[in-house]
Amino acid sequence: MFAQKFEYTAPKTLDEALHLLANGAKPLAGGMSLIPMMKLRLAAPEHLVDLRALKDLNYIREAGGQLHIGATASHYDIESSALLRQKCPLLTETAAAIGDVQVRNLGTIGGSVAHADPAADYPAALQALEAKFVLRSEKSERTLSAADLFVDALTTALQPGEILSEVIVPIDDTRTGTSYLKMAQPASGFAIVGVAARVRQNAGKISFVRIGVTGLSNRAYRATAAEKALEGKTGSAADIQSAAALVARGVDANSDLHASADYRKHLAVVHAARALKTALSRIA
Amino acid sequence: MKISGSYTLPVAPERAYQILQDPAVLAQAMPGCEGLEQIGPNEYRMKMNVILAALSGKFEGKVRIADAVPPTSFRLIVEGSGRIGFLKGDGLLKLSLANTNPSVSTVVSYEGDAHVGGTLAAVGQRLIDGTSKMMLKKFFDKLVSLAH
Amino acid sequence: MATTTVKTETFVGKRIRRREDPRLITGTATYVEDIQMPGMHYAMILRSPHAAARIRSINTKPAEAAPGVVCVFTGKDTKGVGVVPCGVAMPDLRVPQHTILATDRVYFVGHPVAVVVARDRYLARDAADLIEVDYEVLPAVADPEKALAKGAPAVHPQWPDNIAFTYHQDGGNIDKAFAEADVVVKQRIVSQRLVPMAMETRGVVAEWRGADRQLNLYTSTQIPHLVRTLVAGMLGLEENRMRVIAPEVGGGFGSKLNVYAEEALMGFVSTRIQKPVKWIESRRENFTCTIHGRGHVDYYEVAAKRDGTILGIKLKLIQDVGAYHQLLTPLIPQLSVLMMPGIYNTQNIRADIVGVFTNCVPTDAYRGAGRPEATHGIERMVDVLAAELKMDPAEIRFKNFVTKDKFPYATATGLMYDSGDYAAPLRKALDLVGYVKLRLEQADLRKQRKYMGIGISTYGEICAIGPSPATPAGGWESATVKIDPTGKVTILTGTCPHGQGEETTFAQIAADELGVGLDDILVIRGDTAVVQYGIGTFGSRATAVGGTAVYYALQDLKAKIKKFGAMLLESDDVTLIGGQVVDNKTGKSTTLQEIARASYRALKLPPNTEPGLIATRFWEPPNFTFPFGAHIVVTDIDGETGQIKIRRYVAVDDCGNILNPLIVDGQVHGGVAQGLGQALWEQAVYDDDGQLTTGELMDYALPRAHLMPWIESHHTCTPSPVNPLGVKGVGEAGTIGCSPAVVNSVVDALAPLGVRHIDMPLTPEKIWKVLAAKH
Repeated sequence: MFAQKFEYTAPKTLDEALHLLANGAKPLAGGMSLIPMMKLRLAAPEHLVDLRALKDLNYIREAGGQLHIGATASHYDIESSALLRQKCPLLTETAAAIGDVQVRNLGTIGGSVAHADPAADYPAALQALEAKFVLRSEKSERTLSAADLFVDALTTALQPGEILSEVIVPIDDTRTGTSYLKMAQPASGFAIVGVAARVRQNAGKISFVRIGVTGLSNRAYRATAAEKALEGKTGSAADIQSAAALVARGVDANSDLHASADYRKHLAVVHAARALKTALSRIA
Repeated sequence: MKISGSYTLPVAPERAYQILQDPAVLAQAMPGCEGLEQIGPNEYRMKMNVILAALSGKFEGKVRIADAVPPTSFRLIVEGSGRIGFLKGDGLLKLSLANTNPSVSTVVSYEGDAHVGGTLAAVGQRLIDGTSKMMLKKFFDKLVSLAH
Repeated sequence: MATTTVKTETFVGKRIRRREDPRLITGTATYVEDIQMPGMHYAMILRSPHAAARIRSINTKPAEAAPGVVCVFTGKDTKGVGVVPCGVAMPDLRVPQHTILATDRVYFVGHPVAVVVARDRYLARDAADLIEVDYEVLPAVADPEKALAKGAPAVHPQWPDNIAFTYHQDGGNIDKAFAEADVVVKQRIVSQRLVPMAMETRGVVAEWRGADRQLNLYTSTQIPHLVRTLVAGMLGLEENRMRVIAPEVGGGFGSKLNVYAEEALMGFVSTRIQKPVKWIESRRENFTCTIHGRGHVDYYEVAAKRDGTILGIKLKLIQDVGAYHQLLTPLIPQLSVLMMPGIYNTQNIRADIVGVFTNCVPTDAYRGAGRPEATHGIERMVDVLAAELKMDPAEIRFKNFVTKDKFPYATATGLMYDSGDYAAPLRKALDLVGYVKLRLEQADLRKQRKYMGIGISTYGEICAIGPSPATPAGGWESATVKIDPTGKVTILTGTCPHGQGEETTFAQIAADELGVGLDDILVIRGDTAVVQYGIGTFGSRATAVGGTAVYYALQDLKAKIKKFGAMLLESDDVTLIGGQVVDNKTGKSTTLQEIARASYRALKLPPNTEPGLIATRFWEPPNFTFPFGAHIVVTDIDGETGQIKIRRYVAVDDCGNILNPLIVDGQVHGGVAQGLGQALWEQAVYDDDGQLTTGELMDYALPRAHLMPWIESHHTCTPSPVNPLGVKGVGEAGTIGCSPAVVNSVVDALAPLGVRHIDMPLTPEKIWKVLAAKH
């Protein structure tokens, strides 16, 4: 378990980091996936740029009616943020469900999102939140939606030399309830299936539904058919059940040692129903 | 691991059959393929450099075509090995005319076994199904673009 | 003669904190990895990625030319080294030549093929990548039942049937028992392959001192003396020229009760390069090259009367051996057969073992070693029988227990159970869990289609391994107790504790016997140059056998102390009490320190007495000990997802007298954790090509702290008559009692669906499939 020889730089400024990345270095943002891969020699980057050393990427703040989270905010930073707990509890709940304490202390939101593991927890919540992602390189800056960022298993729209610098999530009004529910794979803690639900109620009717699903297929997605099915309904048990039944429809589900595709689809339905129910019950 | 699926190529079966056995086309379509070199009838030496997120692995191996029944079916056997492990895929590809208007197209369905060994097998189980699907998708997507 | 107050504090039976813990929890303990030596080199082992292949050629030249590389060895170079030993003798045992490096073939993924030695470990690792091995891949077989099928690939070409050994045992009259039965229940039960997963992986430092013809071998082992004898033999070295040191050992669970190729290989390398060499096993290697545990497929048949009386048990046991025999591989399923009647009064058994070669890493002892498999089998079968007869699982157990008036009790398998009161822990556990109320609640929940289960396991086990005739290499244990001229006490034990806490419990025994404080005592183990020959720590034996040796050495020493005391006091009637020898007539006393000084100064000696205070005992146990207990597990199952939640875990264990309840709690907790691991999460999965697909901790699910239920640990106490301490052993009890209790609980929860058995691990998907099929 010894990595190949590599160069390591911990730059002081983002510009310096972007410059190194433009010249072929690879970003390190916690290393919860990259370092094990390097030790197994599945990955052999020649030059790592440690983004966690950058103070200017580690923040969680409110601005312009939105929440801005720097890429190197750790899962623990997010889990324990009073601001997020109050204004975006879905994200704190999701961060708290990641891996174990050690992973949450070292892993970062930017690293996790950019790695795009198909079973990672954040993508479900970020899909449900319709988060925006700021991508920066030495020469450019652009903002993408979750639908555009997550391309396939371990594949994002990030180009070489480009890093995810910030995640932007909305602040919901008080008529919104959220929930993230997962079945954790007992060895890795990754989601066998994880479902994030975000619902809003107006005058006894459900006015707005967002459902993000992770773990089921190669990329996290929004279950739009289920969302539509629930909007305008009262949110009875039957409403929830028939909406949840749609979350896995037409999805090419993955199988592994821990769960077959059929079981994953079944779990997605069960977890969607439960997450929706919990989200509704949390509306103030 | 069993693999199966189907893709549609926007050409007639005869043409689809031809490009699926064309080493120049295969070399372009197979993800990470760095070249195919003929070493026998229907047998090619292959070099691959698979890059997937941070993962990268060089593989050397062979591609073999067997049991050819033009233009309806053939077996494609791909073997590769490298420091991080080895892969073997053995699949039967069946081609059939799709009755789609306005233009003619071919449904390519495949069914077979994939074997993975070495470090990849020991540590990659969680991701093998999804990433193999992704590789196949990339392969066929590229074929579609090359078929024109 | 000074007079001091008589010390009255005693330690045995008290919750004394472990004296070894401060160094362990402050990171100051010295493991093999912590050993540094001038000129140390590092070895990296290249291993086969294939389960079966012929080696056409190996090209080591590019690796030899790599920076920092000193040499590369392959199987050709190590031909002079003896084979990895199997310590078990059986009439028809087939023993393949287990060379320390592969020669012409590899037999499992992880098989060592070459070793690279370099001046740093990174360079060694880089160079290992440069070795070119041309393999001709051969068909492999990884499943023992498939290996037995006609036409299966032969693991070893010379034995095409893949049979490694067979073993048959009959007790009583099994045919009569089955002929007289009202009911016969049958079940196939699998105890899956498990990875023992000691927190510290294996590791070896070999230091050849050429001028002295001396090999020092530091290795993470449970059996340093046996390693010395056997590895010296493999290397052709005189045993007294070899010193084996087990420094701090970070867990073993049986996986370090072995002699491994790497131990001899590092010795070989060090003699060749004339420099110290270190090899530390990676976690990936630990998965594929350190022994696995379990690997049973059992076919049970139980014959009974309609009233639940068990008449006889038949077992066909298929043991997945792996590619080779390690030290005790063929012995493990025999331990299962010994234990197959459990704690039930049946005198009729028939067992047939077939050991099967597969292209997998060998199986061998893992916590419980044969007894968890047997207990899982019999405890599942008792529940299957109860379900068949519509009897309560507690009631059927009470009906069949060997009653307490029957001890010592001779079993059908040839054991003599020392002492027991099997009903007592079950009665206590049923009370603690509130059994009657739970059954009422369960009836209610079933009406609501909710799944709650109550699972009972009443286990017995074989501890204090063991009498020498029944133990390869001997089953005695040794101890030396010595008192320095200044009166401080040192215990040298032949056991090799690696987490069991004997530095504390042995000190407790000695402190009470001598009347000194715990801090006056040092316990030393694990160095063959310091400690007299010993057997080691495994099979829940350290306290019951090794502790007894300490106890008897202390008796010898006490007699000598009294002789010196009597001489100093000029008395012929003295008592040793509280660290002093007291003249029973005058009340005058002399301290242990004064006696120690006098014994070494030797100005005057008692008649027929040598100077010094030292005593050594090698104690041969007359029998095993047989602890027992009852575990009850209450589970709730999520009817939608199949997830299992453990609501209650009640363990009532009877391990005889308890020297340190804190340590016993720890052993029960750890044992239960590993039992839960097998019952719910762990499985070493080889695919059809012999690739270990659960090859690291992202896919192999170990029990985690946050997944543990609260364990309600209680005891009954039935002292063992086998040793003067009255102790039985508790290291494996939790593991043995646990898994059947969990599975019985889940099967009980699903009983309304007609479920009789589910194999481990009980993954949520398995449960969901059962639920989905029945709805």
